[in-house]
Amino acid sequence: MSATKQKKKRVRPAAILPESGPELTASAAVAHNAAAVRLEDGTIAATMAEGSPTETGMTAGKPLKVSVAQVLTYELRVRDAMTRPPVTGAPEDSLRTIQNLMKSHRISGVPILQNGAPVGLVSIEDIINALDQGHVNDPAERWMTRNIVTLRDHFSLVRAVAEFDRHGFGRFPVLNSAGELVGVITRGDITSCLMQHLEKRAEEVATREAAQTPGRARGQKLAEPMVLRAEVKAGDYDSAGKVSQRMRQILRMRGVDPDIQRRAAIVAYEAETNIIIHSIGGDLSVAVTPGKVVIEATDHGPGIENIDLAMQEGWSTAGPLARELGFGAGMGLPNIKKCSDKFEIHSEMGAGTRLYSEVLLHKAAPPPVKKRPGKQANS
Amino acid sequence: MATVKARPLTKKVEADLTGCYISDLLSDVLAHASPGMLWVTIQTHRNVISCALAKDIGTVLFTCGRKPDRAVLAEADAEGIVLLSTKQTTYEAAGKLWKAGLR
Repeated sequence: MSATKQKKKRVRPAAILPESGPELTASAAVAHNAAAVRLEDGTIAATMAEGSPTETGMTAGKPLKVSVAQVLTYELRVRDAMTRPPVTGAPEDSLRTIQNLMKSHRISGVPILQNGAPVGLVSIEDIINALDQGHVNDPAERWMTRNIVTLRDHFSLVRAVAEFDRHGFGRFPVLNSAGELVGVITRGDITSCLMQHLEKRAEEVATREAAQTPGRARGQKLAEPMVLRAEVKAGDYDSAGKVSQRMRQILRMRGVDPDIQRRAAIVAYEAETNIIIHSIGGDLSVAVTPGKVVIEATDHGPGIENIDLAMQEGWSTAGPLARELGFGAGMGLPNIKKCSDKFEIHSEMGAGTRLYSEVLLHKAAPPPVKKRPGKQANS
Repeated sequence: MATVKARPLTKKVEADLTGCYISDLLSDVLAHASPGMLWVTIQTHRNVISCALAKDIGTVLFTCGRKPDRAVLAEADAEGIVLLSTKQTTYEAAGKLWKAGLR
């Protein structure tokens, strides 16, 4: 009898196997997640059905006809959609404090941490219940939900959607493989993440189509100015480069000279990573007009103490994490300046930094970097 | 002839190379690498892809046996970038690439 019990215990559901195990190539990684699942929001799934689902590696056995949104829910991870860093409270915080946190961050649930580990979660319902009975100054631990269910950051969004359906919760705290709380995910996060990626795919399709049909159809739309704007969060290294990649697609679509495309991409990428590494957060905007690309990066602080120093190659104030990831070479601002046709930077301590760069689209500008001895000629 | 034994990590495994640049600092790559070069690095973070895209670098070789996580591999596949991984150190790989005629 005890033998069967033990046997049962040892069996782990395949779904919660950690990321370890055999090394997976990229195509295997996608196939690994292939499982029949229903997408919650039918409207998204229906809007775009791309011609060749085989590209995505979803063909385990016979080809499946899947919508782009469905493919995305397999490909995307909880970590791609979650809000980070998580807003958390302590067990001794009053419900009033938690309520204020919710208000200022516009969220409806706050995980409660004790010694770094999540021990509970206060939702807006908990607060309402406490308010009802006049206990809003009680410590959070008295009212929080204790038996919380968490998701791991490497779970696919498919799995996350299934968990939302299963438990009916409004949000899940997200843990990384080390068991640390790294974010919170809501259904809304999943929807907006999907929308964002769908938009990107749509643009890629448009780019491809534009490349295939030269001439008329291309000309009209391309002359219109286009503005990309994105909030850039401090420390969000994973998102770096997204705006510059989209800008590249637009420039490519408009047939801009590849060298000019690259210069604009470098400006946008460096400006974006500057905000991530050095500021408390800010915005990046890229305006593409027929004549030029205008890249503006604004952050909320702390500001650059000495701009002349910051403009020197090799001078950097990047912290250890940024350096470990390969940032902090001290070449960000010099690179931006070299690649810009017009460059301005203003900074005020305590107020923030504003960077303005223009890259002209039609000028046959010399390459930003001197040819170095011994370098192979490029095509 | 000298060869670098590397394991392909992406679906796409072939690309033409115009030369090679070695650096673990992203801004340095943005400043000094040229389009079409092979980039040799120990960095496996997602920003390697962003950086390669900005610079039109189509091939990245990770040394010391390093491999990026699946999200990075998926992104490389989506963008058509070739990723390779070798157990050799950057120095050994560089020597062999040079010897193999990549200059």
